[in-house]
Amino acid sequence: MNDILQVIDLTKRFGGLTAVSNVTFSVRELEILSVIGPNGAGKSTLFKLIASFLRTSGGEVRFRGERISNLAPHITARKGIVRTFQETNIFKGMTVRENVIIAHHLRSKASLFGFFIGSPVAVRDEREFGRSADRILEFLGLGEIANEIASNLPQGHLRALGIAIGLSTEPAVLLLDEPFAGMNHDETMRAVEMVRSVRDRGVTLLLVEHDMSAVMKISDRIVVLNFGEKIAEGTPAEIQKNESVIEAYLGSEDESIGL
Amino acid sequence: MTRTTKIVGTAVFLAVVLVGIPAFITVSERWDLYYTLTSVALLSIASGGVWLTFYIGRINIGQGAYALMGGYVSAILVVKYGVSFWLTLPLAGLFCAAASVVIGLPILRLRGVYFAMVTLVLTEVARLLMLALPITNGAKGITNIPLPGSVKIFGLTLIPDFATLSNVRPAFYYLSVILMIVSFAALYRLVNSRLGKLCRSLQQNEELASSIGVNISYLRIIAYVISSFLGGIGGAIFGAISQSVYPSSFTIVDSINFMLNCFLGGLGYVFGPILGTFVLYFGWDLLFETGRFQLLIFSTVLIGLILALPNGLLSLRFKRASWGSSGRE
Amino acid sequence: MEQVIANGLYLGAQYALIALGLTLIFALMNILNFAHGQLYVIGGFVTYTIYGRLELPFVVALFAAAVTLAVIGAFIERFLFRTVIKRSIREESTMLLAAGLAFFLDAVILLIFGEKQRGVPKLVNGIFNWDFRLIMPYDRILIGFLAILSIVTFVLYMQYSKTGRAMRALAQDRVAAQLMGVNVERYSMIGFALGAMLAGVVGGLLVTITGVNSGIGGPISIKAFMMVMIGGAGVISGAIAGGFILGMMESVGLTVLHSYGDITYLVIFASLMVFLCIRPQGLMGKPWG
Repeated sequence: MNDILQVIDLTKRFGGLTAVSNVTFSVRELEILSVIGPNGAGKSTLFKLIASFLRTSGGEVRFRGERISNLAPHITARKGIVRTFQETNIFKGMTVRENVIIAHHLRSKASLFGFFIGSPVAVRDEREFGRSADRILEFLGLGEIANEIASNLPQGHLRALGIAIGLSTEPAVLLLDEPFAGMNHDETMRAVEMVRSVRDRGVTLLLVEHDMSAVMKISDRIVVLNFGEKIAEGTPAEIQKNESVIEAYLGSEDESIGL
Repeated sequence: MTRTTKIVGTAVFLAVVLVGIPAFITVSERWDLYYTLTSVALLSIASGGVWLTFYIGRINIGQGAYALMGGYVSAILVVKYGVSFWLTLPLAGLFCAAASVVIGLPILRLRGVYFAMVTLVLTEVARLLMLALPITNGAKGITNIPLPGSVKIFGLTLIPDFATLSNVRPAFYYLSVILMIVSFAALYRLVNSRLGKLCRSLQQNEELASSIGVNISYLRIIAYVISSFLGGIGGAIFGAISQSVYPSSFTIVDSINFMLNCFLGGLGYVFGPILGTFVLYFGWDLLFETGRFQLLIFSTVLIGLILALPNGLLSLRFKRASWGSSGRE
Repeated sequence: MEQVIANGLYLGAQYALIALGLTLIFALMNILNFAHGQLYVIGGFVTYTIYGRLELPFVVALFAAAVTLAVIGAFIERFLFRTVIKRSIREESTMLLAAGLAFFLDAVILLIFGEKQRGVPKLVNGIFNWDFRLIMPYDRILIGFLAILSIVTFVLYMQYSKTGRAMRALAQDRVAAQLMGVNVERYSMIGFALGAMLAGVVGGLLVTITGVNSGIGGPISIKAFMMVMIGGAGVISGAIAGGFILGMMESVGLTVLHSYGDITYLVIFASLMVFLCIRPQGLMGKPWG
């Protein structure tokens, strides 16, 4: 298995505060890797750096060997690294179907002008996008609400839509930002299955998540951050036994590690 | 709106504008109406440009600058270099487009009132620049601009020399109205195409749009360029009609008016600017009879309209083309 | 040199007062008050009527102007802006209303007060002359002093009074203020009234020096916007800074570039644009976005 994504010595400083400090790890192709850590550990910042929404203060990110850090976000997306968002992860005013169709933008072969004048390539693209959108919606269980306005959806469906949007771009690596947040047990289990099937479609997945049971169930490997530094890396079994990880979580006030 | 309704509506509109109005004017001999309606058409073109900048989420109070630039470019080319007016028209637009790239690159990053203020200053800068530059003749402006000449292809006269026409006004009317129709047809197409959807995505969730590969700065510049182009050609034709261009031809008040035209018609509707311009300009003209009370009545009615229909006139009739916010309809 | 500075300070104090009113309204309700200049003009005319025509003491006239504008401001907020904000989808509708209001006030001013330039007798006669290095009429000094006094009073009021604190909380975070029990609607109205009052007071002060006429509303609004942009929208210190900076720039520009006239303003505006591109939040504004 190749390393599809490499994070090398990545550092980010905000003024006097170091949010991410010399973090290094690799993501193997088609694996599901979760990044966990107590609140404020730097997970979100790490994600933003990988997806080029923030400029690095040091280190770099490589995708298939090519440096992608510090490019414009839309260029990183074009290369195949797509990020979903924690909140505000959808286009509120459009219908579910429109949301997914527009996310196909990356894959369009026609130019903007072509779309304006309705060139044959553009027309073909539009048709294909419609079909692909319907397939994705089916796959994620959103088929029935395709024509609902996105802002009206309940939480669970919102998350699914966020993932649908990410999927539409046909990413190589999908960064999921807390995909299981706010879900009860049943919803989480269903979502876990959904995320697994996304991987089975050929997408490498990188997750940030707090829900430990979900993380342990779904991840091939886990990276643990605390105070911006990587303190552990390994399989779920290894992480659960790791002393420094346990200490980090006991030291902070939030959730137990779910042993 | 069903497809048939749309087609019928368009046909009716075209018939009224291209045939009905000229017929009415000829019969009633209200020749002044030509000037009024021509102005409405031209101002709505410029307002359409402003509407497009609203579409990418920016408050544009700087269109006056481009109208002024367009007017001057056309005037200078015609008067000093003897270029045919018809050629200067696209040239004026292109000049404004080019200028807007240079200006737009730094300012389009700004948002909300900050962008609005910078564009407000832009209008004033344009005016002062026209006063100061030697080529623009300062405060004296450019006067005695000849009427548009003829357009001949292979000896066939496509467009007659305006100076030879007994009545120039219908000619300008048709020119302006046809350009208005073409411009708004283009805007309509743009808004309903993928480009329009991308702009909406930009409006609704900028970060998400970036993350799915939308090049936000590029999209904004394109919209701004089109907007400025429209401002430029509007200004150029205005110069041809009044046969003069001064630094005060387009001021901050005009920039604000373009914006008001969009607001009044309704920011959610492509054709809003046309209705808004018509109501505001025509309304102002109609009230001329009231003498001293003109501004008072005008502004009172305007405020009343705003209070009653804060989302624009067209919100009475049409469902908003998915603008996207809290879903308040 | 001293002359330039003195002129700049004098102008700056007046401008700062205008900018403060505008920035207060913006801070509280995110409204760009296009009609602010007209409020200034009304203040000037009211003062002119009471002090100049009815020949009552200046203090009475100024007070009357302040009260008139406070009432007008409160009315505008309560019945016009509040309605529009409730009913509209887009935030920019308030700009539309403000613009319409500017037209309306211009019309009313023209009808009630006419289009002639009006002035009032000087408050104090005589000219301060320091060795010909600094020449300033006494009434300007007095007005400048009154303006600075007003600024200080305003800042202290905002800082220490209950109303002031409530308004600052509102400006910072509307929702949080509401949760803390601040009556958002009441303080919005008070804030607008206060902002309008400040504009009116400057109008009243300056009518004794430069007079007033119905046409200057618009240009004053524009200048007010510029100051607020320079200093930073929605921030009190920013408005004061912006006011003084503009005052200084005008003073310097008109003296140094005297022969070039309009170039002064061209330079000022162009630099402002560049400045705003680099630092859109002005000198002291909160980083936006």
